Amino acid sequence: MAELEFRHVSKSYGDTPAVRDLNLKIGEGEFVVLVGPSGCGKTTALRMVAGLEEITDGEIRIGDRVVNDLAPRDRDIAMVFQNYALYPHKTVYDNLAFGLRMRKVPKDERRARVEEIAQKLGLADMLERRPGQLSGGQRQRVAMGRAIVREPKAFLMDEPLSNLDAKLRVQMRAEIARIQQALEVTTLYVTHDQVEAMTMGDRVAVMRDGVLQQVDSPQRLYDAPVNLFVASFVGSPPMNLFEAAIEADGTELVFGDTRLDLGGRLLRDYAGRRVVVGIRPEEVREASGWDGARVRGRVLLVESLGAEQLVHIEVAATPLARPDLVDAAAQPPGPSLGVEERERSVTLLGRFDRHLLLTPGEAVEVAIDPRLLHFFDLETGAALPTADVQAVAGVAG
Amino acid sequence: MSSVTQIAPTPVAPAATRPRARKRLRKAGWNVLGLLVLAVMIFPVFWMISTAFKPGRDILSYTPQWIPLHPVLSNFTDAIHQQFFWNAVKNSVIVTSVVVVLSLVLAFLAALALAKFSFYGRKPFIVVILGVQMVPLAALIIPLYIMMSRVHQVDKLSGVIVMYLTFVLPFAVWTLRGFLLGVPKELEESAMVDGATRFGAFVRILLPLLGPGLVATAIFAFIQAWNEFIIAYVFLHTPEKQTLMVWLASFTTLRGTDWGPLMAGATLCSLPVIIFFVLVQRKIAFGLTAGAVKG
Repeated sequence: MAELEFRHVSKSYGDTPAVRDLNLKIGEGEFVVLVGPSGCGKTTALRMVAGLEEITDGEIRIGDRVVNDLAPRDRDIAMVFQNYALYPHKTVYDNLAFGLRMRKVPKDERRARVEEIAQKLGLADMLERRPGQLSGGQRQRVAMGRAIVREPKAFLMDEPLSNLDAKLRVQMRAEIARIQQALEVTTLYVTHDQVEAMTMGDRVAVMRDGVLQQVDSPQRLYDAPVNLFVASFVGSPPMNLFEAAIEADGTELVFGDTRLDLGGRLLRDYAGRRVVVGIRPEEVREASGWDGARVRGRVLLVESLGAEQLVHIEVAATPLARPDLVDAAAQPPGPSLGVEERERSVTLLGRFDRHLLLTPGEAVEVAIDPRLLHFFDLETGAALPTADVQAVAGVAG
Repeated sequence: MSSVTQIAPTPVAPAATRPRARKRLRKAGWNVLGLLVLAVMIFPVFWMISTAFKPGRDILSYTPQWIPLHPVLSNFTDAIHQQFFWNAVKNSVIVTSVVVVLSLVLAFLAALALAKFSFYGRKPFIVVILGVQMVPLAALIIPLYIMMSRVHQVDKLSGVIVMYLTFVLPFAVWTLRGFLLGVPKELEESAMVDGATRFGAFVRILLPLLGPGLVATAIFAFIQAWNEFIIAYVFLHTPEKQTLMVWLASFTTLRGTDWGPLMAGATLCSLPVIIFFVLVQRKIAFGLTAGAVKG
């Protein structure tokens, strides 16, 4: 077990930067998830730790050793690949034992360790099979076992669940987290799936275009995203985002024909300017019984999820003009099926109680609690840096 | 809902039987065609073997005798005792085995470079490899003969070996490159993370997975080198240096063709190819990499 650290690490392919000035420290026994959309540099970062990719600039440390120039085999790390990379001509036993053989572990000990791991992972009665004779889940477990059996200083995992079907993925997610907790091995895990990241990591590092955006506990990431990208990337369904104006010395928020009182605490610096407002779907509530501010809208679509329903509500507001600041893949389709008398509208996604009867086309009122709103700069996308905003966001969780 | 269930079965049922019958007929037609092609291809082989066992008078009889009524082995003993037979066997074995080994080694290294490393001019190189295979061999013989005679390689086995390599290598490189590309790079990387050196990963992981590719290439090189006639005929003048295929031609003289021993010799010459193929064909198990990756 060891710490793992990136210090000002950069990587470029010719003139194309893949990772820029990455600083990240993973504590002993910690489980850190690197997450981001495809092409954000997360896999490159992981491969640099493994020694499969050269480092353009900066240094990577495992324990107290700088490993920049060490061959992969001398780094004492184990890696689980996205496609498992099992050796097809070797049996499960030989796959598991390969790393031990390479490290010249005596035969008896090798057998004992392989059999112990196989027992733990439920592979004991398929040691003589070849990878081609295994199911997807079993192959995944062999790949895990091959990493575990070595007892390395750190685990590196490159989207190990992405080839499994949805049900198995949830199951293996828990299993990997359990194994990691039991073994307490420093783990760096790469995924593009934010649900995986949130459920598995002690801490989650969000990357975009080779730049680290935020590293925090899953809850902090959800409650206090540092910028629009993190806000839109983390959470499923994603945060609702739209533009609004700050008026009256920073005490009022105005969008469409809605005027919300912010209580005079916030955003004095932004008085008279436009900002981006964010609200999580679970904070979009039906307004009956609410004596605070309301927003009028119209139901566009109701998606029943069984335990709850996802309601798309069209309200009058200005859609976000800077799609480059957000995770485009996570955003719902923009303004639609116009509310005739208004120029522009946005679709708010709300998670509603399943007993609430709503039909498309119906007018509805949404309760908005200004304390639960997130605010971002319209130009930079950064979360607005008032202490109050963060404190309130903390309450929202 | 109800209208759908009423309408659906009625027209579908009679329509379904007719295509099925037609399908069966078509299948039978293809099978007959397949058998015809087989017959055309197998007949010369059958005739060669059958003739090899016939006594002289049966061979030249005007009413064809499909199966030898009085099989004899004299044709085989005649062939084996023909002058230079053992010389030819030795020469063929030398030429073929050197071509097979050299082409495997060279083609493997070239294919490795082409598949795993990017270097300037790689693409044109690949195109050229494909392109040279389209040039007809007959067109090359005279220029090659002149070239080889300048370096004193005419009438030498080494010259013929080099000639064979020139047309075996491009195909071998091309085939092996395909096999190499089929092995995911993660397998090597995984082995390297697991503690193998680059060379170790290559020997323990890549090489075993390339077995089928190497076997396919070896078969091709073997058949080409063993069966080749024109180059050997043009390049090898001295009877002691001739290969088996050229030796076979010696049964045809100005006074006519000695069919019995010729067919016996041809049968003997075919045996190694058949034996070699039977030995290695089990190794051509494509899809050996199944299960390496993906779920």
